[in-house]
Amino acid sequence: MLIDIEAVRIGLQAIWANKLRSSLTIIGVFFGVLSVITIITLMQAMMDGIEEQLSALGPSTFMVNKFGIITSREDYMDALKRKDLTVEDMGAVEEGCLDCEYVAARCYRFGSVKRKSEKLRNVPILGSTANFIDVIDFQVEHGRFFTEMEYQHKRQVAFVGPTIVEELFPGVIDPLGKTIKISGKKYKITGIAKKRGSMMGNNQDNFLVIPLTTQIKYFGKPRHNLALAIKAKNVETVTNTQDQVRSILRARRGVDYYDDDDFSILTAESIMAFVESITLMTRVVIGGIASISMVVGGIVIMNIMMVSVSERTREIGIRKSIGAMRKNIITQFLYEALILTLLGGLLGTSAGIGLAAILGEMMSIDVSVTFLSVAIGMSISLLVGLFFGIYPAVKAAQLDPIEALRYE
Amino acid sequence: MSLIQVDNLWKTYDMGNEQVNALQSVTLKIEKGEYVAIMGPSGSGKSTLMNLIGCLDTPSQGVYMLNGNDVASMDDNELARIRNKEIGFVFQTFNLLPRATSLHNVELPLIYNGTSREGRREKAEKALGKVGLSDRMMHQPNELSGGQRQRVAIARALVNDPSIILADEPTGNLDTNTGDEIMGLIQELNRQGNTVIVVTHEYEIAKKARRIIFLRDGKIEKEEYKQVG
Repeated sequence: MLIDIEAVRIGLQAIWANKLRSSLTIIGVFFGVLSVITIITLMQAMMDGIEEQLSALGPSTFMVNKFGIITSREDYMDALKRKDLTVEDMGAVEEGCLDCEYVAARCYRFGSVKRKSEKLRNVPILGSTANFIDVIDFQVEHGRFFTEMEYQHKRQVAFVGPTIVEELFPGVIDPLGKTIKISGKKYKITGIAKKRGSMMGNNQDNFLVIPLTTQIKYFGKPRHNLALAIKAKNVETVTNTQDQVRSILRARRGVDYYDDDDFSILTAESIMAFVESITLMTRVVIGGIASISMVVGGIVIMNIMMVSVSERTREIGIRKSIGAMRKNIITQFLYEALILTLLGGLLGTSAGIGLAAILGEMMSIDVSVTFLSVAIGMSISLLVGLFFGIYPAVKAAQLDPIEALRYE
Repeated sequence: MSLIQVDNLWKTYDMGNEQVNALQSVTLKIEKGEYVAIMGPSGSGKSTLMNLIGCLDTPSQGVYMLNGNDVASMDDNELARIRNKEIGFVFQTFNLLPRATSLHNVELPLIYNGTSREGRREKAEKALGKVGLSDRMMHQPNELSGGQRQRVAIARALVNDPSIILADEPTGNLDTNTGDEIMGLIQELNRQGNTVIVVTHEYEIAKKARRIIFLRDGKIEKEEYKQVG
């Protein structure tokens, strides 16, 4: 018999008979499961979000930059000594890399943006190649990105994020073709990006993109450090393409045969692996904290079950005297514990998903109900019920019927 | 073959350094259909003997054959099965489940031997009918008088059709009139063919049996047989 209906009935009866005690127990498990599920769901949603952003790069595109993935101060100090990745480096790759479909580049500077009396300071101003729009997941809401021609001719044109529009053009319906001043120079707006919202508290819509050539012309060449995005012609041979780019850059930058690269090649995969590795510790720690609350819930269960057993010693004696075997008694008390934990788990899982959705909304993370979190929620409550319920149940089954019958 | 055959039975308890012999070399036979009282003052070992006969406990030494089963060597689960099948207990304090109806209390032994729901209900109703409580099936113990509770307990003892009905001071918590009624019921059950063992310290109760076994200091002191009638 897989499920002992009689034991379920007895369990429900005992739970119903002690409503206050039962609800306290359920609450104990509820909060444990709630915290575990909230954390798991949120973490999962964050990782999904990052992965989705990265996967916008596509499997045949990889990035080259000066810093790569920095995991320590030493790394950072070493990377600082490296030469900047320059427009000339980009040119060499463009020229020498036969397997490259295209090479795109962007460079971050910061500057002020002005229109009439409205002024924004410290806005990220990206200088990029015209094909940059193909690499990154900017979507055009109105107008267009700048063209190769505008890039070649160092034209003063800008593709702007929606936040810029909102701030500089309050009430203006169509800012396309209008002029803004970036660090003192006039630029014409060619297009507006689609709203992306914020990701983990970062406004992703506060930016401007201008041609890299224009950026170099007005912002100056020093400290012009590029990040390259390179798309390989063939997905299957993307590692060969990376090697090609690597040898071109090493040769150009004069890296000694025995020295390491003075630049880094990053793929969506390697970035994801890195993100996973740095968040692993966090996840383990938070998971540990959540588990502690689960253990607390479990101890509450064990306590309550011990009380329940000692309160019902006589009942156990009666049952044994009329023929209940050990397994019958174990089942009875284990079922009681399991019903309590599963109820707590069910409520905790639903509330946890709800809470994760609310927090996700506040942090601009897409939270979806996954089978995984429901499965985890229910299985941890089941395990806690079994683990902390078995001891009191076995204790009950071991009671000597004669002693138990005498118990007052 | 006797229903109960007890041979040189010892029960010894370890009390620290001392060993206490609750039963010393008890030998007795009880036949099917008998009505036996086990009598003795407190401390005489009658409770110990009842626990052994009722398979709630195992002897330290000796042989106990119940209905052909060697009980002395059984483990916990086998004892539970024997208690379920062969023994019907009636206790001084009734020992009913307080939150269960009469019907459920009487069904309980049947639950533990896997009788189907319908079978349980039918047998339990029949047993409650026998003790005259057909109209109290859905009452919980706290809605019943002491005498009615003991009737429920007797119905529970009967429901599995056991080899022995084992009553431990069955009238101890009842007034004289109700006690007489219960003893009358027990007598009636014996008349219908049930083997009955009553454990008591009152001669008034014991003398209703056809055979009285007197216990003192863990030994059988004497036996008394009475004429039927």
